[in-house]
Amino acid sequence: MDIIEERKEQIDIFKIMGRLDSNTAPDFEKKIVDAIQDGTTAMIIDFENLDYISSAGLRVILKTTKDLKRVDGMLMLCAMKDYVKEVFEIAGFDAFLPIVPTMDEALQRF
Amino acid sequence: MSAVKFVVTLTNHPEQLGLLHRRLEQFGRAHNLPAKMMFQLNLALEELFTNIVSYGYADQAEHTIQIHLAMEKGSLIVRVEDDGVPFNPDQAQSPDLKCPLEERQIGGLGVHFIKKFMDKMVYERRNGKNILIMKRTIGDHQSRGKRPHNPRKTNGR
Repeated sequence: MDIIEERKEQIDIFKIMGRLDSNTAPDFEKKIVDAIQDGTTAMIIDFENLDYISSAGLRVILKTTKDLKRVDGMLMLCAMKDYVKEVFEIAGFDAFLPIVPTMDEALQRF
Repeated sequence: MSAVKFVVTLTNHPEQLGLLHRRLEQFGRAHNLPAKMMFQLNLALEELFTNIVSYGYADQAEHTIQIHLAMEKGSLIVRVEDDGVPFNPDQAQSPDLKCPLEERQIGGLGVHFIKKFMDKMVYERRNGKNILIMKRTIGDHQSRGKRPHNPRKTNGR
């Protein structure tokens, strides 16, 4: 999985591309942990080019949500493909994770 | 038409996930299976594989996990065999989906996906092996209990 990190004002944006599975999730987790340790409290994860996610990926997202909450931060998830969004819905994660269709909408929430 | 068999042999190492993914893609292409179904099959088998690798063995030895795939009368039959500790996914506890964020855990999600994306599941413990046989009708995933959208649809073969 490829990860591109960009910054827009105070917001840390992670564009994840490819597959977020049990092999690729640890690297992603590390990048997020580093960002939060460096002081990030506003984060967007852009799913536009993510083709696949498994429970390992959900685990990282869940942990990130809890970690950001602890520092009074906020996470937005955007641009999920249908199959990927469905995984969040089947897991019931859409009940407490902020998922929006576009990057613009995600940016507006901050 | 005879059932065509396809076997994926993996060792109990997490990196083998890539091989599982590639072999499933091969199978899916060979049988023109729909993209969404392949996504869901991939997910279900990843969850099963990583559960076996993570929790299946009490030793540090190398073990083999075999996955058999076959098409049978418009359905996909998947058989997973491993020689790990007895584990029946059907009896695993379901996650609490209504649990709020603070208490929410990941445990149980893997099995939840397996049950959601496969239509039938039969477990057997035989000769020191876990044998899990799963069936999935072709096409988009249908929730358990719903009738298939188009039961007599074939691929024209």
